[in-house]
Amino acid sequence: MPFREINSKMVEAVVVPGQKMYSQRGAMLAYRGDVSFTPNIQGGQGGLGSMIGRRVANEAAPLMTVEGSGTVMFGHGGHHIQVIGLSGDTLYVEADRLLAFDGTLQQGTMFMGSQGGVMGMVRGQVTGQGLFTTTLKGHGAVAVMAHGGVIELPIMPGRPVHVDPQAYVAHHGDVTNKLSTALGWRDMVGRGSGEAFQLELSGSGAVYVQASEEKL
Amino acid sequence: MFRLQGSKTLAVDLTGDAVKAKNGSMVAYDGRMAFKKMSGGGDGLRGMVTRRLTGEQMVMMEVKGQGTCYFADRASEISLVSLHGETLYVEASNLLATDAGLRTGTSFTGLRGGASGNGLFTTTVEGTGQAAIMSDGSAVVLRVTPQYPLNVDPGAYIAHQGSLQQHFQSGVNFRTLMGEGSGESFQIRFEGDGLVYVQPSERNTVGGDV
Repeated sequence: MPFREINSKMVEAVVVPGQKMYSQRGAMLAYRGDVSFTPNIQGGQGGLGSMIGRRVANEAAPLMTVEGSGTVMFGHGGHHIQVIGLSGDTLYVEADRLLAFDGTLQQGTMFMGSQGGVMGMVRGQVTGQGLFTTTLKGHGAVAVMAHGGVIELPIMPGRPVHVDPQAYVAHHGDVTNKLSTALGWRDMVGRGSGEAFQLELSGSGAVYVQASEEKL
Repeated sequence: MFRLQGSKTLAVDLTGDAVKAKNGSMVAYDGRMAFKKMSGGGDGLRGMVTRRLTGEQMVMMEVKGQGTCYFADRASEISLVSLHGETLYVEASNLLATDAGLRTGTSFTGLRGGASGNGLFTTTVEGTGQAAIMSDGSAVVLRVTPQYPLNVDPGAYIAHQGSLQQHFQSGVNFRTLMGEGSGESFQIRFEGDGLVYVQPSERNTVGGDV
């Protein structure tokens, strides 16, 4: 585990020579040792193609490369931080929620429409997350930010989990998501319960939910 | 059954029964759930009219189904309160969820409400069951006995239960009028036997300015 949680709002990462790490630009709080921070114009891994892809998809969070040897502390905006360990599976997360991640993880961009078709695109619009999301794949750890504490809910086959789109943080595993609507006549006349749109996640994996309905 | 998942998320296990919660506070659920807005906070027509008149607005929804439902609101800390026939007085903005069996109503608080920035009325919850209240920062529960009355800053007060009388106290003196007040010119004094819930944060109040 390269990330160590100091408290709920700060993580410490160990940087060793020859191993890169990416973090959101400006998220460094303190460091020990000989560590260099280089702004990453490409906004992450991959070549020029990936960079253009991210720009087009508007998933280009300003990232920096962290290299050298020492320890670095990360934190941002007083948000709670959740460290998620990945062992071969894929994490789906919004780019602006990413605080830092291992360089060993493969970064990509996914089109919402490719999962869930048209409803996937509608989902992105409804939740204000846009039509694209960032994926991280491989073995390593990711530090994700959320407003308020985060709870992890397991998803098992046959037991789908429904999440408020505004409280959704990230998910990993073999999970399909779709937007389910519970729009009734009450919502049409402005008497809704405020829970008209929900994200339905089914398959096997886990979803991370924040204790707040606020965006970062 | 209410239980806390962390300090900021409330998990409620439902087996076909219902629970009342603040409108839009669901963050996740598994199983099958139906959400229905309760007009006027669920006190019936008379309660609805009272709420409109008193300004103690509370928009609640009824959640019914099977499975586990998770509630949270703007990362507020949550405290659970068990009621056995007594009455809980709570500000409408601090109430997150109650058992469906609990009755909610409105009561007059007198002068205190004006200074605590909550209006002159407060919400009452009575019956037998559980309620979840929210606070900015984790709430402390202070016991009041006849020997030990308690004074509370109106901006930090969130709820109380038991047989308590409340008085409004003001320590306004010539310093306050000179604009040299300590910011603690108004207090609520609780006497009797019961519990008071206080949050480690103060709302903007008229009392806090003088």
